[in-house]
Amino acid sequence: MADEKKPSKGGILQTFKDIVYGMSSHEMTRHAVRTRASMEHLFILITMGDLLGIPILPPYYSLRLLPYVTPQISAWKRRMLREKDITDTLG
Amino acid sequence: MSLRQVFESYPERRYIMFGGKGGLGKTTLSATCAFWLASQGKRVLLFSVDPQASLSDIFQRDIFGQGPVAIAQNLWAQEVDADRRIREYQDEIRKKILEMYGFERVPEEIDNYISAASAEPAMEESAIFDAVVDIIVKGDYDYYIYDLVPLGHALYYLSMAKVYDEWINKITKLREEMGQYDRVAATMRREETVEEDKILEELLYIKKRINSSSQILTDKSRTAFFFVLVPEEMIILDTRKAADLFARFDVPISGYVVNRVLPPELDRDNLPPYLRNRISLQRKYLEEIRTSLGKNVLAYVPEMERDVTGLAMIERLAERLFT
Repeated sequence: MADEKKPSKGGILQTFKDIVYGMSSHEMTRHAVRTRASMEHLFILITMGDLLGIPILPPYYSLRLLPYVTPQISAWKRRMLREKDITDTLG
Repeated sequence: MSLRQVFESYPERRYIMFGGKGGLGKTTLSATCAFWLASQGKRVLLFSVDPQASLSDIFQRDIFGQGPVAIAQNLWAQEVDADRRIREYQDEIRKKILEMYGFERVPEEIDNYISAASAEPAMEESAIFDAVVDIIVKGDYDYYIYDLVPLGHALYYLSMAKVYDEWINKITKLREEMGQYDRVAATMRREETVEEDKILEELLYIKKRINSSSQILTDKSRTAFFFVLVPEEMIILDTRKAADLFARFDVPISGYVVNRVLPPELDRDNLPPYLRNRISLQRKYLEEIRTSLGKNVLAYVPEMERDVTGLAMIERLAERLFT
């Protein structure tokens, strides 16, 4: 706390704002981001299930979405194949 | 009502389908009907969603994969080359990935997926589905006549529209919810608004296509579905079952066409027993059809003395069917 109260060139107001943010809405933000991430994985499962051998209709349209999720595919596959979900430990 | 009266009374029914078991004359009737409508001054596209399409055979010229080919005045025919469509589509997807991320080549895992996806039977079906959407949303013609695949398959195709419809609506909703979480997080962090969701854009595009196609297929005011059957025991039973199934998928059944009816002049004395037997059997089944389907039968199509192929023969059948 002492560190945070030290006046810096960024202004004491900004520091204060950050503290309020940390106390009030950081947890909510984290929750929103985490829910969003889970939904992302669910979304990829629904559209790209074939990658794991789960055929989910219709493949022609899934392919259309593939370019947008290409960077996430590896992380998603790891997560799906893990026995325990990362959010179990964090939650 | 006759087939002609149906077309005249419901001019807004522009999407015409003939369904029935294999080999009963769906293609023949589709072609005849298309030919007659074209001769009435309507612009008609007859197209096939069957990988083993037979429009090339009936018109006696190769039209496979060539887009709409002019067959006669006001009449075009098209056979979709699903394999080529899939190949071109795959290349498009690969190109998009390379462009979006500046890759030298598509990551192996992704490339394998793209290749494997096309090997699935469902891929061909959904590709054909999409090709049909392409054809009908353009709206260049007065009439669209589907030369359908045999019953089970056709049912699958029609139900696909319904399943896809639900699928896309759900996924789009999920994606929209995801956007809400993005916005919540951004607002709380007091960040600038989040960038537009390209995936949602794609989904909305797919949704529009699927919804419009599925609406057409199940809309009684715009679509007419005719069952083709022949006076034979098994066919009558199967048609009855299929009609129930189709009704469950909200397919608007407009009537039945009985094909291969033996000409009455054939029935005379001194016939060999085989023929006499055949004729009396057919009469019995025709009676059965009359009792069970009654007014819903729009036409009894005579068995022609030779196969219906080529425009001259189609024209002859059209004259008998529509006058």
